[in-house]
Amino acid sequence: MTSVPAMLRRGLLPLLLLSAAMPLAILGLASIGSDWFFPALLPGTFSLASWRNVVGTGALLGPALLASAALALATGLAAMVFGAFAGSAIAAATGWRRVIGAGAAFLPVAAPPVALATGLHATLLGAGLGSSIVGVFVAHVVPACGYTTLYFLGIFTVREGGHEDAARTLGAGRFDVLRRVTIPMMHRELLEALLLGAIVSWGQVALTLVAGGGSVRTLPLEVIDYLVAGQDQLAATGSLLLVIPPLAAFGLMRLALRNVELVLP
Amino acid sequence: MIRRGAGLAAFLVATPVLIGIAYSALASVGLLGPGSTGFSTASWASAFDDPQLLRGLGWSLWVASAATALATMAAVVVAALFRPGTRSSGVARLLAVMPLPLSHLAAGVLGVLVLGQSGLLARGAFMAGWIDQPAAMPALIYDQWGIGLIVVLAWKEFPFLALIAFSLLADRGRALEEAARTLGARGRAVFWAVTWPVLWRGLMPAVVAVFAFVAGTYEATVLLAPSDPLALPLLTMERYTDVGVAKRGEAHVLVLIGLVVGIGAVALHEAARARDRRAT
Repeated sequence: MTSVPAMLRRGLLPLLLLSAAMPLAILGLASIGSDWFFPALLPGTFSLASWRNVVGTGALLGPALLASAALALATGLAAMVFGAFAGSAIAAATGWRRVIGAGAAFLPVAAPPVALATGLHATLLGAGLGSSIVGVFVAHVVPACGYTTLYFLGIFTVREGGHEDAARTLGAGRFDVLRRVTIPMMHRELLEALLLGAIVSWGQVALTLVAGGGSVRTLPLEVIDYLVAGQDQLAATGSLLLVIPPLAAFGLMRLALRNVELVLP
Repeated sequence: MIRRGAGLAAFLVATPVLIGIAYSALASVGLLGPGSTGFSTASWASAFDDPQLLRGLGWSLWVASAATALATMAAVVVAALFRPGTRSSGVARLLAVMPLPLSHLAAGVLGVLVLGQSGLLARGAFMAGWIDQPAAMPALIYDQWGIGLIVVLAWKEFPFLALIAFSLLADRGRALEEAARTLGARGRAVFWAVTWPVLWRGLMPAVVAVFAFVAGTYEATVLLAPSDPLALPLLTMERYTDVGVAKRGEAHVLVLIGLVVGIGAVALHEAARARDRRAT
């Protein structure tokens, strides 16, 4: 007789497969399918028209994709550098200083994006950065730095600095230790932090909408507009473009994380 | 040096948020921002007089609670059923975490394409002969109960909670379960005495984080939530972008309420955890 857990496992496996495969399958089909009206289960015709809107002259999604990519890269880099500095400093602290440091890093992560956006907007306007891509970059950097600081706080909490100590004993200065020991030893963690910061920026809507004042057009904003306008094919193409880079990054991270033990509270 | 570094890091990471909170607090009482006319509690009074606020807040809390509960239950069940050891378990665990990097916006678009009244689910129901036109399909998105949004958010948050649940059972659960079996416990007794407490305690921080995040999320909400009641993040954005400058003060009141929900959930959890630590 089959046990209840075995039956549940057999029933859940197809559901998990559906959950994993559904995003790419449905968005992929919707991005190349035209004349896909109720009640058809599959599109009437297939066309690559929406993908031609990603590249080339007059492409509708191209500029937004470029803006999103530039913002994600810049945000990822800035958040990686800041997070490494802040995370290591907070990890080295003890007692109430560490508690306050960790609490401060949690703040931009726990604050709802809409609240963060409206709060930051006035500061950006005051600094003359309202409705500009630089203003949107600054707005994206705030939560991204929270995430990367927490990430590096975890890394530096369990990391032992024996190699750095040895280099110092041998006469290396602070810059040499950083350049010749810490960065080469932590290149994987730095890359992961860059990806983490980039992903935080990549999916932002509320912060972009408020800080950019609607004039900075990124991929998520275009996707919403196309979906609301009933342009499902373009919305699906934009969504796929939003999905593929984080999926690829996740795949790379899984490869990198194979030998790392996850530290949990 | 290190002490100064930690202080500077904490200052730099928190300052933009604290400035935002201070700005919202001052703007909500008319001391800052467009249309400010000196200290007044009018924005607070008008925000709380408006039934939309309490309905929107209640609706957002309902959606966040239901989505978090569903995602947590699914994560616990999958983690408890698919333990390391067999190839099919490994495949199931990989499939469970695969949607993790998907953005909330892409999940929202999928929600529209699948759950909408002319979406794939409705088409399947038509093929099965259950409905004869899109209007006959029960509304699963833009609906008063937020069913579609709850399902999409639960699905989106499930991989995150499952990943943590897998790790918890691999780290701490296995040894404790073996100890319980050695002492004679079997099947359900092991689950309720060991597996469930390990999962529940370990998952709590992540569950609270998911709740706070879902309550304030904008991306999927803007695509799947109804216009009445208006979810708190949408109501805040609507007030903030209103052409009437007077509404900005109300937006800042809503911002502060949103912050209280998000940060309050984390603070409550930390207080409960501290009490728990003292008791054990």
